[in-house]
Order: sequence, then C-alpha cells, then structure tokens
Amino acid sequence: MKIRITEYLEIDLDQKKWCCQRCGQMLVDARENYKKGCLVAEKPLEEVYPALTEGQPYGFRPDPNFCRIVEFYCPACGVMIENEYLPPGHPITHDIQIDLDALIRSAT
Amino acid sequence: MPYTRDTEVVQRLKPEAMTQAEQEALAGIDDLDFEIFQHKMNMIALEGKETTMKLGASTGMRWGDVAFGIYTGLGDLAVVATGIWFHAVLGQIPVKFIVKHWLKDETVGVRPGDSYFFNDPFYSGVHAADMGLCVPVFAEGELICFVGANVHTGENGSAEPGGQPIAAKSRYEEGLMVPPIKVGENYTLREDIMTMLGTATRDPRTMVLDIKARLAACRIAERRIQEMVADKGLAFFRGALRKILTTTAKAARKKVSLLHDGIYRQPRFMDIVGNEEKIIKIGICLEKKGDKLKLTFDGVSPMLDAHPQNTFFQGIIGLAMVYFCGWFFYDLPANNALLEALDWEFPARTVVNASGDVPTALAPAIQTCFVHGIFLIGARMTYNLDPERAVASWFSGFGVPYFGGFNQWEEPVADISPELNATGAGARPDMDGVSGAGAFFATMSDCSDVETTEADRPFLYLFRNYFKHSYGAGKYRGGAGVGFGVSIHHVPWLAMGGLGYGSKYPATLGIFGGYAVPPGFIQTVHGSDVKKHLADSDRSLPVNLDQLYGEANPEKGNRALHNITMGIKPFLNGDTFYMPAGGGAGYGDVLERDPQAVMDDLRSGLASRWMAENLYKVAFDPETLVVDLEATKQLRQKAFEERKQRGVPMAEFEETWSKQHPPRDILKYFGGYPHPKPKMDFGLPM
Repeated sequence: MKIRITEYLEIDLDQKKWCCQRCGQMLVDARENYKKGCLVAEKPLEEVYPALTEGQPYGFRPDPNFCRIVEFYCPACGVMIENEYLPPGHPITHDIQIDLDALIRSAT
Repeated sequence: MPYTRDTEVVQRLKPEAMTQAEQEALAGIDDLDFEIFQHKMNMIALEGKETTMKLGASTGMRWGDVAFGIYTGLGDLAVVATGIWFHAVLGQIPVKFIVKHWLKDETVGVRPGDSYFFNDPFYSGVHAADMGLCVPVFAEGELICFVGANVHTGENGSAEPGGQPIAAKSRYEEGLMVPPIKVGENYTLREDIMTMLGTATRDPRTMVLDIKARLAACRIAERRIQEMVADKGLAFFRGALRKILTTTAKAARKKVSLLHDGIYRQPRFMDIVGNEEKIIKIGICLEKKGDKLKLTFDGVSPMLDAHPQNTFFQGIIGLAMVYFCGWFFYDLPANNALLEALDWEFPARTVVNASGDVPTALAPAIQTCFVHGIFLIGARMTYNLDPERAVASWFSGFGVPYFGGFNQWEEPVADISPELNATGAGARPDMDGVSGAGAFFATMSDCSDVETTEADRPFLYLFRNYFKHSYGAGKYRGGAGVGFGVSIHHVPWLAMGGLGYGSKYPATLGIFGGYAVPPGFIQTVHGSDVKKHLADSDRSLPVNLDQLYGEANPEKGNRALHNITMGIKPFLNGDTFYMPAGGGAGYGDVLERDPQAVMDDLRSGLASRWMAENLYKVAFDPETLVVDLEATKQLRQKAFEERKQRGVPMAEFEETWSKQHPPRDILKYFGGYPHPKPKMDFGLPM
C-alpha cells in the first residue's frame, strides 16, 4: 500500500520506503530524508534566470554569493522531486520527517 | 500599572477562560438560532469593513488593508471581516489591554460612547503604520462586547514618510506609537487629542479622516448589535459569541488531526538588513502530533540592535494565521480560537522575538519572510489531505514605493502606492497561478485604478501591467506580477524610496520542484527626458518592465539600478521610478509543463523564446508557434538523462557542497553560519 505525500513522493508502507510517484522507483528508508535517495546537483543560476542587465549590480538572476539552487532528481526517471534555494554550503534541509509508526497505525 | 509596555497581556493570544455567565448562556442555544446569529454577525462585520473603506483616506484604507472585528467583552476576537488574516489574532491584544487596564481605572474607564485609538506595534503586533480604533458596546447597562477596525494608515511621523523608516536605529525614530488610549467620550471625538494625533504626522488630513472612518463604522456596528440584543436577549448574545469560539477551536483541532504526524522544516533567508545587503536566517520547524501543531525554531539570526527588521513574537503568530486562516482553515471562522490548535516556543533576542527598544518598523518584512516558510511547510504537510490546496506561494517580498511631499493640490502626502496589492498568486497542482491576484496577506485588497491614484498623488503612470520576468516557472507557473513606472508630475519634487526584500536571494520560493520568483529591483532615472518623448508621442518608449533594460529604450538621463529596499531621496519633476510587484512561485518540474501552455505564454508575452527553448525544452516553429511534440519529447528525455549524469548521491554532493561558504561580509548579522545562535542575554529588561 502506498500513501501519497507530495506531487512526486509516496511512501510504500509494506517496504517502508520513499518512492518516486512518477516511476515507482524506491528511493530510501521512509524514516530517512527522502533526499538521500535522490541524485543531487547544483543547477547553474543562468540556466534558469536570464539576468537581462549584464554587468549591473541588479538583475533578474539571484546573486550567487547569496543563493544557489540545489536540485533533487529521481535516480530512475530524472524527474525533479524538489529543489532548494540555499546560500553556498548551507546544509540540506530535512523538510519532511513523517512519523512512520503513526502513519502505519493510521493506515491500518 | 508601571508606565511601560505590558509583556503579560501580549501572551494572551488564545481565548480567555469562559465566564460562568457565558457557560450558562451557551447551554441553551439552539443550532438554527446560532447559524442565523453567525450570519448576522458576519454581515455586521462586513458592513463595518466596507464602511471603513469607503470613508477613509489612506491608500491602505481605500484599497482594502482593513479588518473589522467583533470582540467578546473579555477581548477575544469572535468575528472578523477581512483578508488581512493576521488581525484575526492580533486585533484582540489592544482590546484585552483596555479590559485589563482601563475597565476599572477611575481616571479612564470604559463607558457607553467611549472610543479608543492604538498603534503601538507591541500591542497591534505588526508595525506602527497599522492603526486601530475600537469602541465598547453596552446593552441593558452592561458591557457586552467591543467592535473595532484595524487599518494600515501608514504615515505616523516616523523618521521617513509612510511609517516604515528603513534607517531607524531605535524605536524612538519610528514615530508615533500609541498604546490603547481613550480618544472619544459621549459619542464625540476629543478635538485636543485629534489635534495632537494630526500634528504628530506629516499628513494630518489622512490621520484624522482614517480615525473618523473607523469610528463611523464602529457606531453602525454598535447599533446593529444593540438591535440584535434587544431582539434575542443579552444571555443569547453572550453565549452565542462564545459558542463561535468553542466550535471554531473544536473544528480546528479536528482538522489538524487529519494530517500525518511528523516534523516539517523550512529555513528562510532574507537578503537585506536596514539597507545593507546582508543575509539573515529564520529556521522554522512545525511539528504535528495528534490534534495539535507546535511551532519552534531551529536557528534564527540574533535580534538587530539598530536595524528595523525585527518583529515581536506576536507578529509572527499573527502572520502564521495568514496561512492558517486563508489556506488551511479556509472553511472555518477566522478568530483567535483557531490558536487552540497551535502551540509555540520562541528563541529569545532573535529577529522573530524582539525585546527592549530595538526598532521594528520593517517587521512586516521579517514576518512575511517567516510565513512564506509556513506556506512551503503547509503545502508539504497538507498535500495528502487536500492536494488541491497544496499550492505554491503568492509573492511575499513586498516591493512597494513610499513617498512624502506635497501633491498637486498642495496637500501634504506621505504614503505608499497600492501596487503591493497586485502581486501574482502561486501556481496550483492543476493550473497556473492567477496574475495580479492581490497581496497574499491582504487577499480582499485592490491596487486602485491608475487614474484614481493619479488624482491625488503627484504621479504620471508610464505603464502598469504584467511582465514575463515576474513569476516562478514550473509544471504550472506562478501568476504574473505587475511592473510599473511613474514620472513625478504636477509638482516640483517628491521624496521617494522603496521597501521590500529579494533583490539578491529570491523572496518567494517554488514548491515540489517549481522555481522561485526572480529577484526584483528598482530603476530610477534622474533628469529623465521621458516627458519630451511623451510630448513627441514616441512609440518606442517601454510599455512594460521587460522592455526597460534593452538598448532600444530611448529614455535618457542619469539611470541607476537599486536594491528593492532603497532609502528615501528627492525626485524632481519628470524624474522616473520603475518597480516590480512580484508574481507567484512555480509548482512542479518545468519539464512536465504542457508545451501548448508554453506557446500560450509566448503569444501573450508572458514567456520568452529563451524560456521556451532553454527552460521548458519545447521544440516549436518560431513563426507559427506550432509545437513539434515528438521533438519536444526527445528534448525533454535528453534533459532527464542529463540530470542523471549531472546528479550524484547526496553524501557525495555534500562533500564538496559543504566546503562552500558565502563571503564573510554578507554574514555580518547572520549570527554564526550556518547555524545562528541568539544574542547573549545580559539581563537587560524585556
């Protein structure tokens, strides 16, 4: 039995694992941060935001001294499960920490 | 009482204990009568809100930054008409202050015909620009409730016009801050106090008109309530008002119980301190267990001693209610009984829990930065229960000009412009966000017609419309925001500045892989020749914000780009000022966006060819905009494969990632990177 958690994530209660909702790929133990089961990459800012004001102190692109984009992909299908905008080197966030025992109790 | 701020009354955000009289009255209330009562009370509050808006003068009051509430005799807010949901828990504090301090004080007292004014943000919760007025309602010789209106009037005589001084170094530069004070007796405002309040500001006309608008609305509501009590009886009224609170609390806890237990986290970063480009952090944790939520913090930057991006804790709870009232508890009454489902714990002496005399004029920035994290947490926490409401965020970074001077009628003006009420909504799980939807914190507000704004503000609008670099991309994109430009018109000069955040680190992040709203910034042109171009009917002038930055823009003058937070400076007749009110954030993976929707955006000017090709990976004929579906599928498959090539397991990623560090100078106020610690407590008074 699978429980939908977000647009791209499910928890397989039988396997007690996070899964990709798009392709069914098992990611990691459901008690862990699902991001540990993803492929992780820093996305160059210029691939998302054209600045339009080259050479100026301000533009439509975040300042890399303040902000980087870290993306989390399903290792099987490559869909972007989530991203984070973080200052350089800031620890990755454990954003969803489901109480698995309570989830299993409520599902059964 | 000591003549200082009351730190006890601000803790009383949850409903007061039920009185014996309420308990006895509550038992006898019929369900049908209760439904009719609730409807009537909501209509009374709505009439109060509409009356306030129609009679007021400030930008905030005229365009809907208004809350009209009905409070119990103990001060709890039972009914409110507003889209400014933070007033659902903050508007009650001044009323509870009055009940605590003035009800039995023989020099002040609470009597029929009295009225009370307040704008000290310690009690109102947000900032001194928000001002309120309430009156007690009596029936059968007894105090039965209060009614009141809270509105952003703005100008309060602070060091900069408009009530939000960027350069404030202590609260003593933040202008008038009035704890609840009696301003009227015997159904009459006291002229000596009106003169004092008017004289204390740059714009006395707006100050006094706004006070009178609030009072007029209160008197109508007072009359309606007295008619109801005459019809249904005092006991019914008291019991039914309390029943609204008890049923709300029960329903709120029941709804929370439907969510999965767990802990949800979101770090938030803000890129401006005063007007210095420095980064600070609010680490947010929300734990859901059983039928309760608990808000705690995991690393918050220390309180800023001499910059105004601090907030009192009560403002944080207030802004949290913008999400809870408007999005999660959307189907429940908005009142402070919703807080029976929420507990909290704040770290002392941090930017989210200010104390002492530090300035707080820009508390709305730190509050909205915080609550944007609650929106992200909320989407993750509620997707399973109600996926249609697990949406990306509306724009949260402000982006509002403030100004002071004289208008074309030689009247003093000191205010903000209404475009902050024209930001874009976040994308949804099934559709793009709505463009120009409103302000997320003031969802029933409006941005005015430009002609109306021009009628008593010394501006000539050059354009005001949507622009393509205003929203976050995604499977569904955010609604577009509004870009606008004004030229100083009809007057020799005007002082102008800008408020907001997000010029360096995006203010509004996407959800489930959706991208953030691009940074926003200001462009100014001093000595602009734009009026000459207008006189010549020059059609090459930019007609939206996207066209400002290219070589084709014919406007000449001393052009400069600025952070969205820009200190106030003089602008002469003809100088121009351009600013964005941002759009909504994106939802989901860009590679899942319907290629046809990308073409629709190209046609409407809300996407560029660069975006279609490079971000969304759509193959199309640039002449006809016909999509090549097979080629698009191949482009996207290639992009998915490239991600898998580029991505590495998290442990491997962290090995190199964790060695990076922002430049030291931008961490000046961070408080220890990456895990800030609160300031040391030197035993100073709170």
